Amino acid sequence: MTDTQPDTAPDAGPDTRDEERAEERRHLERREKWIRRLPLLPALLFTIVITQVPFVFSLFYSLTDWKIIPPTPRTFIGFDNFTDLVDNQFFRDAAWVSVVMTASAVLLSLILGTGIALLLDRKFFGQGFVRTLLITPFLVMPVVAGLVWKNQVFSSQYGVINWLLNLVGIDNVEFVTRYPLWSIVIVLVWEWTPFMMLIILAGLQGQPTDVLEAARVDGATNRAIFFQITLPHLKPYLELGTLLGSIYLIQVFDQIEVITGGGPDSSNIPFFVFQRSIGGGWDFGAASAMSIVVVIASIVLANLGLRVLSGLLEGEDPA
Amino acid sequence: MAEVRYEGATRLYEGTEEPAVNALDLDIVDGELLVLVGPSGSGKSTALRMLAGLESVDQGGVYIGGRDVTLVPPKDRDIAMVFQNYALYPQMTVAANMGFALKQQGVPKEERVRQVREAARILDLEPYLDRKPKNLSGGQRQRVAMGRAIVRRPQVFLMDEPLSNLDAKLRVQTRTELADLQARLGVTTVYVTHDQVEAMTMGHRVAVLKDGFLQQVAAPKELYSRPANLFVAGFIGSPAMNLITVPVEDGVASLNDLSLPLPDDVRAEVNRRGLKEIVFGVRPEHLELGQEGTSGEVAVVEELGSEAYVHVRIAHGAETELIVVRVGGETSVTRGDFVNFGVTGANHYFDPDGDRLDAKPVPGAG
Repeated sequence: MTDTQPDTAPDAGPDTRDEERAEERRHLERREKWIRRLPLLPALLFTIVITQVPFVFSLFYSLTDWKIIPPTPRTFIGFDNFTDLVDNQFFRDAAWVSVVMTASAVLLSLILGTGIALLLDRKFFGQGFVRTLLITPFLVMPVVAGLVWKNQVFSSQYGVINWLLNLVGIDNVEFVTRYPLWSIVIVLVWEWTPFMMLIILAGLQGQPTDVLEAARVDGATNRAIFFQITLPHLKPYLELGTLLGSIYLIQVFDQIEVITGGGPDSSNIPFFVFQRSIGGGWDFGAASAMSIVVVIASIVLANLGLRVLSGLLEGEDPA
Repeated sequence: MAEVRYEGATRLYEGTEEPAVNALDLDIVDGELLVLVGPSGSGKSTALRMLAGLESVDQGGVYIGGRDVTLVPPKDRDIAMVFQNYALYPQMTVAANMGFALKQQGVPKEERVRQVREAARILDLEPYLDRKPKNLSGGQRQRVAMGRAIVRRPQVFLMDEPLSNLDAKLRVQTRTELADLQARLGVTTVYVTHDQVEAMTMGHRVAVLKDGFLQQVAAPKELYSRPANLFVAGFIGSPAMNLITVPVEDGVASLNDLSLPLPDDVRAEVNRRGLKEIVFGVRPEHLELGQEGTSGEVAVVEELGSEAYVHVRIAHGAETELIVVRVGGETSVTRGDFVNFGVTGANHYFDPDGDRLDAKPVPGAG
């Protein structure tokens, strides 16, 4: 600092001015930060009110025994609802359905979406038209999608598949009854493939062409280019698709309600929560506990999915 | 290592009238560094990409080492290319980038590592082998792109403006290193640039393109001293050649007070073509300030230290023209002075349509 120098020692002016300036600068920075945050505040408050507050209520309910029919007073029972879940065969089945349904629907729609995106990522006549058509399944209401598939595709009486099977001499198959879980997974994949396709297509179009040209000049085959250059480039997009897909698909309800009505081997945890609460069980304490488990499972599953995916794509050997 | 030949090679982009590269004939000898130079849109990059196989050849053919590669895909052409933006593989380390081509050829890992190390040593890249491209500076990325090319020992190097993303100082330095590396490796190289200084300093021969047509192929010195047409005369050289349209009468051209008797071959050509006007060209170093000659007012003096360029405004018909004269660094001429200047030699004469008027076959020019 300058105060050791003899010629500035008698006058402490510059030092105080520096401090004043620093104080003023800090003040301005604080102001600047608030100006940046302030416009976000209403949205933040709104989000907290409609998501976090109900979640806190759910947390509280999950620790109580609270049945409405027959009406009983709410009593605090600690973690009993959670420990009961472990022994509940119906809940375990629903949990397994959740895992299979979410994982297979995400994986299949991701693979299909990537395939279609690769086909779309080239110039051809009518490209925009085809792309728009391919997106439509994602725009269809889940209930409508479920109904269309159930009545027009899977149905043993009016379904397209059975009609085709009859043409080649195969007897009717009751798809929804015999394969309830996979019937729902197929509808979910049909709806979510366009979503994955859009994300992957964005990724493909963000890939610099000169890198692909360099790989071609370097002697790479199309296969090698895809697996060694394009797929690693798509990693963040695949991760995003997995994350968003998992979050949405773990809470599927409409398609189950419409297609199987929650019959055996097709009811996931959210559906089971519905059945145990307003869907007829009226046991809000236990249902809240289950929904808490779904939230925790979602977080764990999404993280796990991301880690697995990153691990798959990280495996690249040096030199 | 191989020679390269373009034979009437033409590229016509869909939906355009004029070919981007128009019937290009060019022979590049083994081990040569040939520079393709021209303004943007001249077709120089397209010509290079046709050789790489990244653009299709619509007419004519392309040969590498005597083999017709016109329809051969890029991966089977045994070439290596350095791209303007380097096109490094972003997810791979420097070592993986450099070893990528070898990996595609199925070279065993130990051999790959050895060759990558060798190339990295030549280019001073050894400390960076484990880094990803995003953690490198522009100059280092450029060297990785070079390394990726040399590690393969290809028959031909293709370079598409490899220095244009470097800052001025690094560009000059890398230019020399690159030319030296090419000479040491002795690999035939086709180098594209829009920078005529780069072309002149690096090329064994330089091919000038404009609007898809080859204008002239010659050694830098010849290109400078005997430009084949008006375009080459104006394009090559910095500052550019003074080009001014002058009237001709009885075999003598006149620029204001300057009489310029035409050489016999030029005079014959002017008469044969029946020209009343020609374009007179003279480089700044072939003009001299003095007592004689024509006069004008100094508009600008560009001081470069060792030399200076004096821009003199002269009357030319109803208009004025700027003529650039090179003088020594210690000149006392300043803006607003009236000066006289004369011609000391090495004049160029062109038909206003572009042709050089004393054009005669020059031995050695391709």
